[in-house]
Amino acid sequence: MGRRVNVIGVGMTKFQKPGASDEYNVMAVNAAKAALADAKIEYKEVQSAYVGYVYGDSTCGQRAVYELGLTGIPVFNVNNNCSTGSSALMLAKQAVEGGIVECALALGFEKMEKGALASKFTDRTNPLEWFAGLMSNVQGFTAAPPAAQMFGGAGREYRFKYGTKRETFAKIANKARKHASNNPYALFNQVLSVEEILASDEVFDPLTRFQCCPPTCGAGAAILCSDEFAKKHGITKPVYIAAQAMTTDFDSSFKEESMMKMVGYDMAKACAKKVYDEAGLGPKDVQVVELHDCFTANELLTYEAIGLCPEGGAEKFIEDGDNTYGGKWVTNPSGGLLSKGHPLGATGLAQCTELVWQLRGQADKRQVPNAKVALQHNLGLGGACVMTMYRAD
Amino acid sequence: MSDLRFDNRVAIVTGAGNGLGRSHALLLASRGCKVVVNDLGGTATGGGKSSAAADKVVEEIKAAGGEAVANYDSVEDGDKIVQTALDTWKRIDIVVNNAGILRDTSFKKLTPEDWELIYRVHVNGAFKVTKAAWDHMLEAGYGRIVMTASAAGIYGNFGQANYAMAKLGLVGFANTLAIEGLKKNVRVNTIAPIAGSRLTETVLPKNITDALKPEYVSGLVALLCHEGSEETGGLFEVGGGLFAKLRWERTEGKLFKLGRPITPEQVKNNWKHITDFSKVTHPTNINESMGPILGNLETKAQGGNEFIDVDTALGYEFPPQKSQYDEKDLALYALGVGAGQNPTDDSELQYVYENAPSFRALPSFAVVPALAMVFDAAKRGETAPGMNYGFDRILHGEQYTEVLRPLPTSAKLTHKAKIKEIWDKGKGAVVVMAIKTTDEDGNELFYNELSTFVRGAGGWGGDRGPSAELNVAPDRKPDAVVEEKISEGQALLYRLSGDINPLHVDPGFAKAFGFEKPILHGLCTFGFATRHVIKSFSKNDPRFFKSIKVRFSESVFPGETLVTEMWKDGDQKIIFRCKVKERDKVVISNAAVELYKEIPKAPEKKKPVAAAAGSAAAAPSGEPTSAEAFAVIKDYIEKNPGMAAEIGKTFLFRLSGPDSAWTVDLKNGKGSVTAGGDKGDCMLDLSDADFCAMVAGKADPMKLWTEKKLKIGGDVMASQKLMFLKKIDPKQAAEVVAKMRNAGGGVPAPAAPAASGEPTSGEAFAVIEDFIGKNPGMAGEIGKTFLFRLSSPDSAWTVDLKNGKGAVTAGGDKGDCVLDLSDADFCAMVAGKADPMKLWTEKKLKIGGDIMASQKLMFLKKIDPKQAAEVVAKMRGAGAPAAPAGTGTGKGTVTGKTKPAQAPAIIKALTERITKTPGLAKEVGAVVQVIVTDPDTSFVVDLKNGAGSVKEGTGAADVTLKLSDDTLAALAKGEALRDHYQRGNIRIDGDARVAPKLSIFKGLV
Repeated sequence: MGRRVNVIGVGMTKFQKPGASDEYNVMAVNAAKAALADAKIEYKEVQSAYVGYVYGDSTCGQRAVYELGLTGIPVFNVNNNCSTGSSALMLAKQAVEGGIVECALALGFEKMEKGALASKFTDRTNPLEWFAGLMSNVQGFTAAPPAAQMFGGAGREYRFKYGTKRETFAKIANKARKHASNNPYALFNQVLSVEEILASDEVFDPLTRFQCCPPTCGAGAAILCSDEFAKKHGITKPVYIAAQAMTTDFDSSFKEESMMKMVGYDMAKACAKKVYDEAGLGPKDVQVVELHDCFTANELLTYEAIGLCPEGGAEKFIEDGDNTYGGKWVTNPSGGLLSKGHPLGATGLAQCTELVWQLRGQADKRQVPNAKVALQHNLGLGGACVMTMYRAD
Repeated sequence: MSDLRFDNRVAIVTGAGNGLGRSHALLLASRGCKVVVNDLGGTATGGGKSSAAADKVVEEIKAAGGEAVANYDSVEDGDKIVQTALDTWKRIDIVVNNAGILRDTSFKKLTPEDWELIYRVHVNGAFKVTKAAWDHMLEAGYGRIVMTASAAGIYGNFGQANYAMAKLGLVGFANTLAIEGLKKNVRVNTIAPIAGSRLTETVLPKNITDALKPEYVSGLVALLCHEGSEETGGLFEVGGGLFAKLRWERTEGKLFKLGRPITPEQVKNNWKHITDFSKVTHPTNINESMGPILGNLETKAQGGNEFIDVDTALGYEFPPQKSQYDEKDLALYALGVGAGQNPTDDSELQYVYENAPSFRALPSFAVVPALAMVFDAAKRGETAPGMNYGFDRILHGEQYTEVLRPLPTSAKLTHKAKIKEIWDKGKGAVVVMAIKTTDEDGNELFYNELSTFVRGAGGWGGDRGPSAELNVAPDRKPDAVVEEKISEGQALLYRLSGDINPLHVDPGFAKAFGFEKPILHGLCTFGFATRHVIKSFSKNDPRFFKSIKVRFSESVFPGETLVTEMWKDGDQKIIFRCKVKERDKVVISNAAVELYKEIPKAPEKKKPVAAAAGSAAAAPSGEPTSAEAFAVIKDYIEKNPGMAAEIGKTFLFRLSGPDSAWTVDLKNGKGSVTAGGDKGDCMLDLSDADFCAMVAGKADPMKLWTEKKLKIGGDVMASQKLMFLKKIDPKQAAEVVAKMRNAGGGVPAPAAPAASGEPTSGEAFAVIEDFIGKNPGMAGEIGKTFLFRLSSPDSAWTVDLKNGKGAVTAGGDKGDCVLDLSDADFCAMVAGKADPMKLWTEKKLKIGGDIMASQKLMFLKKIDPKQAAEVVAKMRGAGAPAAPAGTGTGKGTVTGKTKPAQAPAIIKALTERITKTPGLAKEVGAVVQVIVTDPDTSFVVDLKNGAGSVKEGTGAADVTLKLSDDTLAALAKGEALRDHYQRGNIRIDGDARVAPKLSIFKGLV
């Protein structure tokens, strides 16, 4: 264990649909400037930058931060599929934690195209080939978007195991929409009823269109620093990272012919355990959670994987309203990936931004009461799961 | 192998006293040949004469136990040399024309004597000897002749003009003798040897000539002279260890149409084609050489001149290009053509404000991406071949733009441009380029025809084209007039939509072209006019707009006032013209806009055939058998001859179920694949099915191994080398398989269709034929042939969308893409009731050959069912043989053919099971509604009340299962409900908790 790492500044852009956003460098600079302003420091005090994005040529990171200043600091470009943002955050945290720098910038952005995620490099080994191979063994391969097939397949497996109702999945999207209606940064502000969600086009049974996160453009940023740095800048009681961990795939992802395992159930489970152990806190100590709801099915699985409810208990958990205001936790107060949007590289940092705001009591209409401990879960197929616990006390 | 022997054969080797000749003679004699050792005994330059050289070689041969006789005549007295053979052994079988001398000197210093002497010894000498032997050989029906040429003749060499002439002369000589002697088994070949001899001492350094021993050449000579050799007409380079055969290679070249002068300029303009060796042929005889020309004799030039070559240019299709546009492009364009001059006018805001309640594209925008495509191509230097003029010569004369449906607010486009017409207007020419633009799903979105006038490019006496004046403004008061002032800066704004010609912005540039100031873009006026017509006749709703056609007759200056006069011409057409008020000049004439009666609907979204991620997506159908898979491997090895040397291992595959063994040798020679075998460096045991999956890229060898489905024995590490299997291109594999199958290898050939054809599919093909007839551009666009092999009843049909305008014919046995499916499924597909994609995933449709081409069949979805019904009705009305009476009407027959339902038997068995197993109801405790499709039926299984029951129909239920008849049958056979649900074959609604308990169908069949 190294030094304590504080999150002294966060910022993000309003998430936009593809085609309607600014260029990536503009989004990234705007998010970073917001985070710097939030931290009340100047860019020249940043000693290294970790910049995440999935779609773009190499060194987009430099292109983005160069607009903030040409200070010659180390800049790392980070790519880890949907968990890219958190991976950048983790590297920044490690640099501060290990005493390499006093202050680091974690930045993430994505300029996405319309339509479902697709492979960009078709002339080489597809990194997801093991996943696709397993899936085609278990359930075949259809014309639906591949990610929807994978998470939807996990949904089928869960549904068959526990007899989950279709409405239960739709309720998650309904909750996400409700939360997002209070978030000015979210892509979708319109509340949709469970019926509307169920009636939307079926993408891959049981997932309908409104149960899939949209391709999104946006950026998020966080400024991390040591206690000494915070003190020097007169920052008192900043939000800090109480624990953080990353896991990648285990045997079970590929060996158990299980779609649930393939999409990262065990990764999340192991990651959560590490974080709880490191922080010395359990799920019960947490009030607010931002978790990776790329599809409703994954939010449902994640409740169980990270211990918010027992295995097989998700439907009851949802019916009891334990995932929203008035319940045991508020999951995805921001609207989550489903409603706020999912710009791959930005998501991890947008989650961080939301949770820091929550812990500072700055979340306005969507403020979770008495938020003291927050938990972040960000997952990418391919795969990596990053979880971070934040505290304000 | 036994030695190549020449016992009882008689050979003449000329110039055999030294060097190569001596070596040939010694080798032949050592193999039993009787040899006339001819040598004049002169010097290397042809001086002197002695018998010593020949005698010495004869002695050597005799000393070694061979038979030989010396001859000292000049080759110019060839008959005497031959006579020596006849006198001695009464026959002549082999002539090796080897004698030669050199008179090397630069051509500048070359004397007529040098030329003459070389000719006499090499050419005339070879002629004389060969001529004297020829008749004897023809008579005997056997002969072997070798000429000695030289690299100097093939490639030229400084100082050897005379020698090179003679040596290449021998090649032509030999080639002709090879043809004339073929029937009588007289074979004639030529070698171009390189060896250290008296003749090369002058050109090569000694250390090299020493290394290039004559003995390195003689082996080839002996082989070519052997009775077992059938080689004839060959030319070989040989020496220093190299043995190589030469052949002629010819570029595909340029074939001009005949009937008009072919100018040096045209030859120059086509130099790239003439000299392009990326496409070549290797003619081996005069017929092959003449082939392309014979095909060209019937052609007739359509004319042209140095600016335009009609034959080359007309019909040229540009490579497809992609572009895209979004809301911003639309708004910028609309502003460019004057929209929004009153920013509070909603009817104008709809074109420029993306959040306007009815934000819509101004349809004339459709010309912008098309024109941009032409500019982009020109910028990259991609012009149509045969169009050799610059932008400075052209004027945009006429424009036709048609949108097939309202333009979306953003789109990804593909443009296909073609030179549609070329007219000779006397002084100038008119070139019409047609550009068809499709959206991301391949549906046509809009169409443009750009007519450009090319100054000074006409006059070849070609077709003038249509001359009728279309869309003439009627001689009456316009039905509507719109007057609008064009802003002074309009061109500056319009140019940002892509036409950046400085003529419209740069005052100096405009002056140079004789304009007082920059002129407005003709297409900008075109946009103004479109707005005016929509405003006046389409209630400001651009979605009814269909097309616009205009002729640009005068330039417009920004700042002038445009007056658009419009006349209704029928319900859907508006004739118009545009004038400039200030100058009272008509600037757009012969113009019309067509409107749609109803807003056209966007076609249904097409589903992609294969998802992007993962190799499993590209699962080929028409599963290759293991024999085919090995053929694929064999093909791959043949195409990669270096592999064997690189891998250096042999592999034995032992397949099971069905059992077979195969040896893949990647160690010896170029590698090979053979059936059978019982050893290999590395032995692999796996099932036939897994092997096929592995070669098809569907199973990972690593994974098979970890799963113990693949056992590896012997050199385990060698198995790693099999990773090359992953590199096999699935397309190539499919090709090999298709070829095998077409050749009757795998699948039995399709049965010939009955004369009358099967009524429903016959009609369906008639519908396709009708559709193709109505869409003549399809064939050009699709460029593939499809073979449909239908089953029960069997028939074969060829849909040719490659040649001419396309055709549909009964029968056929090949196509670029081969589709196997049942007659019923085919009919359902054409009737729009079955999705080809679904048939394919359900394995009811197998696709072979060019799998990707099957995507092109999506046009079947565009067939209007109404039109289809009409064709069918017409056929039946006419009593067409394909539609016997009494087959019903409409498409009812198409789906009337269904396979027998399996559900009734299963329901019956289930009822029995419930009766016999009273505990079942208790165990499940739910009412299950089962909805079966294809064919449709439904039943309710009550496993909650009493002892349980089954009844047909629908009713209140706790859980509903929706599945196909086939899936139900699969469950009844014992397949797991869970697996079918996971695969999406079953839909579960209601209380899904019941589902895991539903093993009630298991084992019913």
